[in-house]
Amino acid sequence: MDSGEDAAQRPLTLDIAGVGNEEPEAHAPSEVAAISSQPNSTDVLFPEESIDLDAEAFISPQDDSAASGSMMDKLNDQMMESVLISDSPNSEEDDVPIDSLLEQGEDKESLDSKEPEEEKKEDVKEEKTEAIPEQGTPDLSVEPVESSSAALVEKEEAEEKEKDLTKDMVTANQAADVGAPTPDSPKGQEEKVEVAKATAKEEPIPVCTIFSHGMQPKTLVPDGFQPTLVKSPSFSSGTNETPNKLAPLVCQPSPSLSKFFTDNGTVNPASDFFDSFTTSSSFISVSNPNAESPKAVTPSECQLSSGSSTVPSAEHQDAGTPSAYFSIGPQDSTPKPVAGPAEPAATMTTLQAVFSGSDDPFASALSLSEVDKRYDAWLPSEETRRVLISVATQQVNPVYVERDRLSMPGLKFDNLQGDAVKDLMLRFLGDQAAMKRQVLTANSVEQNFLGLKQLISTKNWRAAVDLTGRLLTAHGQGYGKSGQPTSHTTDSLQLWFVRLALLVKLNLFQNAELEFEPFGNLDQPDVYYEYYPTVYPARRGSMVPFSMRVLHAELPQYLNKPQESLDRLHSMRSVCEKILTNLEEGLAEDGSMMTLTQENRQASIQLWRSRLCRVMYSMANCLLMMKDYILAVETYHSIIQYEPQQRVQLLSGIGRIFLQIGDIRTAEKYFQEVEKTCEEKGTGPAQDTSVLMNKAFVYLSQNNYAEAHTCFSNPANFFSDANNNAAVCLLYLGRLKESLGQLESLVQQDPALYLHESVLFNLTTMYELESSRSMQKKQALLEAVACREGDSFNTQCLKLV
Amino acid sequence: MKAKVHSGLSQHKMDVNQAKQEHLLALKVMRLTKPTLFTNMPVTCEDRDLPGDLFGRLMREDPSTIKGAETLMLGEMLTLPQNFGNIFLGETFSSYISVHNDSNQVVKDILVKADLQTSSQRLNLSASNSAVAELKPECCIDDVIHHEVKEIGTHILVCAVSYTTQSGDKLYFRKFFKFQVLKPLDVKTKFYNAETDEVFLEAQIQNITTSPMFMEKVSLEPSMMYNVTELNTVASGKECSESTFGKMLYLQPMDTRQYLYCLKPKPEFAEKAGVIKGVTVIGKLDIVWKTNLGERGRLQTSQLQRMAPGYGDVRLSLEFIPDTVNLEEPFDITCKITNCSERTMDLLLEMCNTRSVHWCGVSGRQLGKLSPSGSLAIPLKLLSSVQGLQSISGLRLTDTFLKRTYEYDDIAQVCVVCPYLSPES
Repeated sequence: MDSGEDAAQRPLTLDIAGVGNEEPEAHAPSEVAAISSQPNSTDVLFPEESIDLDAEAFISPQDDSAASGSMMDKLNDQMMESVLISDSPNSEEDDVPIDSLLEQGEDKESLDSKEPEEEKKEDVKEEKTEAIPEQGTPDLSVEPVESSSAALVEKEEAEEKEKDLTKDMVTANQAADVGAPTPDSPKGQEEKVEVAKATAKEEPIPVCTIFSHGMQPKTLVPDGFQPTLVKSPSFSSGTNETPNKLAPLVCQPSPSLSKFFTDNGTVNPASDFFDSFTTSSSFISVSNPNAESPKAVTPSECQLSSGSSTVPSAEHQDAGTPSAYFSIGPQDSTPKPVAGPAEPAATMTTLQAVFSGSDDPFASALSLSEVDKRYDAWLPSEETRRVLISVATQQVNPVYVERDRLSMPGLKFDNLQGDAVKDLMLRFLGDQAAMKRQVLTANSVEQNFLGLKQLISTKNWRAAVDLTGRLLTAHGQGYGKSGQPTSHTTDSLQLWFVRLALLVKLNLFQNAELEFEPFGNLDQPDVYYEYYPTVYPARRGSMVPFSMRVLHAELPQYLNKPQESLDRLHSMRSVCEKILTNLEEGLAEDGSMMTLTQENRQASIQLWRSRLCRVMYSMANCLLMMKDYILAVETYHSIIQYEPQQRVQLLSGIGRIFLQIGDIRTAEKYFQEVEKTCEEKGTGPAQDTSVLMNKAFVYLSQNNYAEAHTCFSNPANFFSDANNNAAVCLLYLGRLKESLGQLESLVQQDPALYLHESVLFNLTTMYELESSRSMQKKQALLEAVACREGDSFNTQCLKLV
Repeated sequence: MKAKVHSGLSQHKMDVNQAKQEHLLALKVMRLTKPTLFTNMPVTCEDRDLPGDLFGRLMREDPSTIKGAETLMLGEMLTLPQNFGNIFLGETFSSYISVHNDSNQVVKDILVKADLQTSSQRLNLSASNSAVAELKPECCIDDVIHHEVKEIGTHILVCAVSYTTQSGDKLYFRKFFKFQVLKPLDVKTKFYNAETDEVFLEAQIQNITTSPMFMEKVSLEPSMMYNVTELNTVASGKECSESTFGKMLYLQPMDTRQYLYCLKPKPEFAEKAGVIKGVTVIGKLDIVWKTNLGERGRLQTSQLQRMAPGYGDVRLSLEFIPDTVNLEEPFDITCKITNCSERTMDLLLEMCNTRSVHWCGVSGRQLGKLSPSGSLAIPLKLLSSVQGLQSISGLRLTDTFLKRTYEYDDIAQVCVVCPYLSPES
């Protein structure tokens, strides 16, 4: 079939010409196309040759002198010298070489992407060096301009002036660039530089202010604290700061902790949480009286102090709302679980009333142990299993397990405490305004789980991380304790989970990775209950919460190691599937021959299905991040069978993935499926919205911003993202002021909803586009943010710096 | 610090003019690439975990999550472009141009002009070239410009603003925005000539951008001489034909995809010309792609040209040949002999037996005179004495005018089978 001579023919590189659509203007796009598209005849004869693609600059520039009207003339005349690209530098002797002018201009005016400016800078420079000779070469094209510019000569002086001006502008601009991002005026620049200096001075210097304040009585006032940086917990020398004081004392298993706490007896000892959260274990100790439980806590009390979330009962969740906590008031009515068993506080009885179901401690204890078993189930690796069995059968004393088989975590970095919002206020709005900023810090809440939850729910995640640090320090896993033998409890692992989850939420991935590291793959023997037969008698399974495993698996993808994430997620998935198979085969979760009641089995199957689903979601998200769209879509699609109630959202999501790739037709197919599903179900309002949203996205992808805007602003589309999207569409329609007005009023009307990173980013971007006074407007936003948002607010979206 | 300064993203407040003169108007330019969808980062916990419902509640309250499926990463919130990004040949450059009156006086006769200077030409992109009579304080003139980029290399957007102040001064300033247009695709082609007049074109298209590309259309527009059949789908049953590239028609960065086309000369050309000789224009490739949220790009290659294979003076092609024949059973083939030279030939056909294939008939047959571009079909009979895939060789044509002999070996292959051993018999 293939004749011999063609076999030698190599692939031929082609030149590509832009599609020469007919332009209304008299310019010559078609000529360009022609030039680049007509290879020389030699090229035809030797088709192996690559044709140079840069067949540009063969056409002499068009001079646009055709315009009429005095003003137009003026514009155009001055434009003449701006045939910048093809001008050869030597054409104007004593003047600034136009190229260099351009180059200068380019530094600040090039529209090249700015984010990765640092990296790109080099590229740009390379391009420049390449570009200069190129610009120099087409002398031919310049000549007509020059020769015909006899008339220009007389103008030259004027032009020179103009050029001087531009030069100055450019240099001024350069200066401005170094000084401040958006100078309003030269004066403004200076000011800003000063400000910058000032803030540089005021940058939080690592000072252990906690200790310098040591003489003052401890208050819970949430304000007036300098950003503090606790260097390391070993500094703790005689202050009221209980957590720090406790630090050296508590490097022991937690059940014995209370000994230290009881004689301590101060306001909020870090002890609160420890004895509190181990709900289930103390329940078990109720049913196992010979277990050496340090203190006999009655169930009701235990529930009380433990915070509602430990018991997944409906009434309990009611109590779990933060309002319940807040109503307690941090000062007086602090639950003091460690204190005597007879606690007559009125608040307690009222709280007790909430847990109506707790009259029968034994029954609830039993059911709880079932729940424990269900939630804690996990399949350890073979090696770990062997160690656990030998510990259980008392062949090996846990003390003698090899060190490298143990998890020995410890804090890896100093406190994060800090508030970027306040820093910005100091810098831009002054001390006065900054003083008004009041956020909760780790010091201003109770040093226990309640305080921690309060910090989380008020979005003070940095402070919350600090608090977890203190609490972990109290548990002997503080700064520098990594690599030292320790013992784990349900609580300590929950604290680690919260800490690491918050670090991830704060985008502090490296820190999270560092602190995750001692845990290995979360399969070391000492993170299983079986490892502590005396502390947790008869309790089996993993101390590591499932959510922490998910977090651990997801983390590498944020650090550019998505493959590692996928590996971890796959092994989690197989464990989930194995457990589900075990359950379906009539075994217990871990494959043991234990009889489960039908009810418990069903509950367990449901739990593990939802966990499997969670893992699948993570896998799909990870694949999406890797841009492996085929597998991502497949995975999202497979979730539908487990979570049929999320069908609409998942199909819409898949459709959006296709839109992102640019495949609008396939996206529409999925959106049609969404519509069908909605029709079958009978339309609920939420589903109507997704149909509308999908429609709007399709219009958007067809460049039909007007229709997209109509869909987004449909009143049925009450979700916040729709309003934001409608405003975005307005900008593309050239209606900047309207768009701004809409977003501004949204932020004013419902700040809780619209003080969101992406909305604010859009708003500040438009401010920058609108006027030179964007700085003031951004600062106004900063003030709005300051009175609502916690210390975890991502200030980057305000684009103030 | 520098990086932070520059994170001000795509719109550029080049207050170029403030060194010498306070301008009353400010010009801002922002490239309008498509917005992006916000992705959130799900961090979840279970009710029994320490935070209880807290993480879940935080996620539900977050406006960027999908309600009811908060763990789905890809949200619905649109975010404006964060940086200039890349622009590629064939894409459309869109930009927002805003002129804002920063002063507290009314400004008159404002003329905003946006030109795009490329290495070869200058284009006016402004929607209107008429001046705006007056602009009140805090008001702005907005324009969204679009331009389909048709050249590679440096482009400079030149924005010029002229206006008259209240005191009657005529002022003028300009700003330059420079950007590079890059090449999005690498296209390589290769022709394969079939034994018949068909030509196969293989086109390798490589995505040399940094983002995935959905190839909406890659088609060959044939020149007037050819009909084209696209061979990039697998016909499966009804009208729905499946692409050879699978379900997803997108191309990851640096991925290459091969498209195959079969070109057949239209009968009128094939007959008239007899043989297509020398350089012929085959046609051009038309490529349409889309990226994020329908950002569109389109390119055409230049005319693809192909050197027709040289057939020498006499071309021998096969009109008919069976693919499978029985061992030691005669079979027929039909050869077509075409005179590709400029002179009349007087041809003599000889057949030399090879080890496996034997010709049945008289060797040294006179075929008569054949004028230029003339052709004749000759039926021939053969038999094979060896099983397997056998090559047909040993045809010799001699032009008695010039005493020149043309040899034709390996002109085709047949599969020879033994009928007696097959399970059917």
